[in-house]
Amino acid sequence: MSNPTADRQLTAEGVAAELQKFLRERTKTDWEPDTDLFASGSVSSMFAMELVVHVEQTFKVAIAGPDLKIDNFRTVNAMTALVLRLARADDTA
Amino acid sequence: MTPREELAALLSEEVGDRAGGWDLAGAIPLETLRRLGTEGVLCAEVPAEFGGRGLSGLDNGELTAHAGTLCSSLRSVMTSQGMAAWTIQRFGTREQRAKELAALTRGDLAAVAFSEPQAGSDLSAIATTVVDDGDSVVLNGHKVWSTASAYADVLVVFGRYQDGAAAVLVPTRAPGVTVRPVPQPLGCRAAGHADVLLDDVRLPATRVLSGASVSLGLLTTIALTYGRLSVAWGCVGIIRACLTAAATHARAREQFGKPLAEHQLVARHLAEMYVAEQTATRLCEHASGCWDSRSAELSGASVLAKHAAAGHAAHAASAAVQILASAGSVDGGTVARAYRDAKLMQIIEGSEEICQLILAERALERVT
Repeated sequence: MSNPTADRQLTAEGVAAELQKFLRERTKTDWEPDTDLFASGSVSSMFAMELVVHVEQTFKVAIAGPDLKIDNFRTVNAMTALVLRLARADDTA
Repeated sequence: MTPREELAALLSEEVGDRAGGWDLAGAIPLETLRRLGTEGVLCAEVPAEFGGRGLSGLDNGELTAHAGTLCSSLRSVMTSQGMAAWTIQRFGTREQRAKELAALTRGDLAAVAFSEPQAGSDLSAIATTVVDDGDSVVLNGHKVWSTASAYADVLVVFGRYQDGAAAVLVPTRAPGVTVRPVPQPLGCRAAGHADVLLDDVRLPATRVLSGASVSLGLLTTIALTYGRLSVAWGCVGIIRACLTAAATHARAREQFGKPLAEHQLVARHLAEMYVAEQTATRLCEHASGCWDSRSAELSGASVLAKHAAAGHAAHAASAAVQILASAGSVDGGTVARAYRDAKLMQIIEGSEEICQLILAERALERVT
């Protein structure tokens, strides 16, 4: 955490691939990048929190306040955009 | 002394031998809570940048267990204050975090309000409304069994907002707020449980955490995860207090010409309580480890720790009353309090049955 920029070569493809891998492991299902994770009802609030914690830990970002809205976690694409935005904000901070 | 040891010593000093009296009176003196709040004990995980003690989850857990050995009512107040602080830390904007967390480490007392007459285990049925009106929001609703709200200066109220939900910081002195203490609670009698009526409570829109609508499920799950860990550690404290009381009594008390501890059926109770203490502690350490390392396993680990620790606490308290017998059957005493308090721990922050449903899902995931 002390030097976040050193290994912070995050690309949209890399982030999306990691998220899809995590989702596959946890739900035993493949998720398209634009599929709504919560629409089917098979993904619970407990799992939503798991996603928040996983994204924070994996990409070394802190997600708080307005960024915790569910729309940011609804799809792989949405999470990827969030991660890239927070990582950039961190680097320029 | 480490910061944790320093805060633990402060708790021991403030509680002294007064927990039984607080239980019988159904109240903890407000100045005691303010003093502990000012020292940052009640929400010791709040980072130093917000005026807090910045304890790790694990250290805060052990501190919570220590409070639990002394007085589960006080520990419940800590759980409430900590959950309020955590909700503000996670969902608050930068400004809200700075201002509100500073208040909670300067002596202001806080509670959270989830449950309603028709929304207990099923929080998706929350009916409290938060409605925009210009620069204000207006709240209406009925909350029940909000722990510590009888002492609180501010309540974190969970309600429906726009197309989702929000947590709103409601001062208990705001017009339209009525706090009605639960007359005679079964356990944690001095924890300030109360129902809260919200009747056209008008507040500045800046009191809405994050300033936006969020998912009710995510909001309550994140807030409750702190509560589950805190309750789990509190249960570890209950078990430790019971084990100490039972072992002390079993050594000293003689029947049939030898100490109780030398009677095998009593010794078995002691062994089971020891297993309970060790098991609950290890599960709590694991869950707090997940918390501190931001492991995705946290959500499941916190439910497991809470469920197991509460069950162990209920059994240990029952066994302790059994061993102390008449000496333990006096209200206000350590094991009598534990017996009543532990039962409530099987109900709050996810009942036994709700925890089991979640854990059963974990079990089924193994074979899909």
